[in-house]
Amino acid sequence: MTSMQPLWWFALPVLLLPLWWHLQKRERTRTEPLATARFLPAAAPRQQRVPRLVELLLLLIRLLLLVVLLAWLAVLAMPWKRDTVFIASSLNDEPWTVQQIHAAGMDGAAREPLPADVWTWLARNEHAWHPSARLLIVARDLPMPALPPRLAHTITLRTSAPAAAQRASAAPAPHERHVVVATAPQRLPRWQALFAAFSTAGEGANRYIIADTPTSTTELIVWDRPETQPPSSWQAPLWWRTTAAPASGPASGPASTFQPFIAQPALFTSAPSQQGLIWSAAQWPLTDAPAARALYEHWQRQSRSWPAYALPASIQTLPAQRKSPLPATIANSPEWLAIALLALFTIERILAHVRRR
Amino acid sequence: MLETSALVTHAADLELVIRHVLAGLGHGIHAGRERGAGVEFSEYRAYAPGDEWRRVDWKLLARADRYYVREAERDSHVGVWLWLDATASMAEPSRRVPGLDKFWFARTALACVAAIAQRQGDAFGLVVCTDGRIDFTPASRGPRQLQRVLAALQRAKPSGVLPDAEILRANLHFARSQSMVFAATDALDWPSPLSEALIRLRHMRHDVRLLALRTEAEVTAHLASGHAYRDPEMASGLHSFDRDSRDAYSAALGAHFSAVRTDARRHDVPLCEAQIEQPLGEVLRAWLRNPR
Repeated sequence: MTSMQPLWWFALPVLLLPLWWHLQKRERTRTEPLATARFLPAAAPRQQRVPRLVELLLLLIRLLLLVVLLAWLAVLAMPWKRDTVFIASSLNDEPWTVQQIHAAGMDGAAREPLPADVWTWLARNEHAWHPSARLLIVARDLPMPALPPRLAHTITLRTSAPAAAQRASAAPAPHERHVVVATAPQRLPRWQALFAAFSTAGEGANRYIIADTPTSTTELIVWDRPETQPPSSWQAPLWWRTTAAPASGPASGPASTFQPFIAQPALFTSAPSQQGLIWSAAQWPLTDAPAARALYEHWQRQSRSWPAYALPASIQTLPAQRKSPLPATIANSPEWLAIALLALFTIERILAHVRRR
Repeated sequence: MLETSALVTHAADLELVIRHVLAGLGHGIHAGRERGAGVEFSEYRAYAPGDEWRRVDWKLLARADRYYVREAERDSHVGVWLWLDATASMAEPSRRVPGLDKFWFARTALACVAAIAQRQGDAFGLVVCTDGRIDFTPASRGPRQLQRVLAALQRAKPSGVLPDAEILRANLHFARSQSMVFAATDALDWPSPLSEALIRLRHMRHDVRLLALRTEAEVTAHLASGHAYRDPEMASGLHSFDRDSRDAYSAALGAHFSAVRTDARRHDVPLCEAQIEQPLGEVLRAWLRNPR
């Protein structure tokens, strides 16, 4: 539930009102005053058993009108959230977090987890907050947006690297990277040794896990069977494929460094394909340490994503840049509800007029 | 000529209806002994709108710079009492002419009688029996009194039931000198405190004229069947009307009115029965005609 609007459904007993009026009206229209009625035989009060079609239709339309009105109100967004603290998930229950919230004077504020892309998320969902609500973001570090965020609320940022968090960041968990190696059984130990060397090369930052079949997390597929083609269902961002050995050339001789290896088109080619980027080589540097290092560095340069520049660790306040938040995107397509409301209202008026005539 | 029932329905101005009705009517109810204004001087009185200009004393105007009217000694000592039954049953509408009901008819007829009385120089007063009480307008003469009576008639609304016999008896003190009593009612409550009071007045040698109003639907018993009807003067109780009960209905109604007729004849009260769809002028002439 993203808003309290579903509370409107508690107004459903309003439907009893038209029902009650309808019953009242039936009772009232039954009798007619007549001065000489005393000269007529007495009759027992009887319910009028034949309800008029127009009245029933009118009652139904009125009930429907109320239901549609409630439905329309129930999806209508209104600012209802108050002061809120956004806390990064890694900082939950940290004493530093509690201290920062207390220092900001927002002990009683609601707490929500910090969304991933906080600035975009806030711009889209800001309409749910009351105009006077204060927003506080407590995080270790926040990516600095390219442009200052233009929001309708004043936002306080408290970013810092707490001591405990710093200690934890000193020895971060190694990043797991999944690799699929398809090769001849006698060459598999060499590949394993190569990726073990890669694991130690990055100061333990990466740990390479070798599997037989690719999954969605697989980053690299090594296809070391030059005589066969890989299955077409295999997908990966990067492929290393062994091509058949060229008839001539210095390929048989071990390359002294990797630089000439990747600089020679006859030995190493890079081409995009349907299944991913394919690096092809006749012979992979499985035994040549400098070439393997050059290959590793070349690969790391290609695949590495640079971390975003973090906001400086401090307390800052971003003042409101606009008067009203961006318009809400209302769920459940209320456009047809509004049209239905209008149509029902028109029909109700017409029927009421018809009944009066 | 415009039909009177439609005129009564649509004219908000009672005076207009009176002028229209009385234009086709002769002068006078009885032989007044008045021989014209100012024969026997009695007093000066301040001019009031509606007074005739020829009765203004111009010499006195030159002296006092104010309008005074010479009041003459009146010979007519006949008081006229207008008696309106304004109970809820008088709101019974005509089922043929839309907008017309018994109350409007009775009120207009009494207004015409008041206008005739004013023309003849008679003193006239109004008694309205409504909602268990009596609204009393004391008798007086002149155009102002006519305006007062017309205003009281306009104010009255049909509601409630007749006042008790005690209330009526306590209010009969007005009729000391000999007078004419014009009572307009639907005579559905008979005998009733109203009928007793009228008969008592008759025994006190007053000239009582009774107008019993009915609607065409009542006389012909042409009511819409299938409806449930209720008596406006009774809180509860429903009545039904269908083809089988039509004969019984007209028989009961006929028996009631023949009892009323018999009672009136026994006490020497001239009874004029009328339907409200009839032209008002005819009804008035029949009502005012000297029965003897």
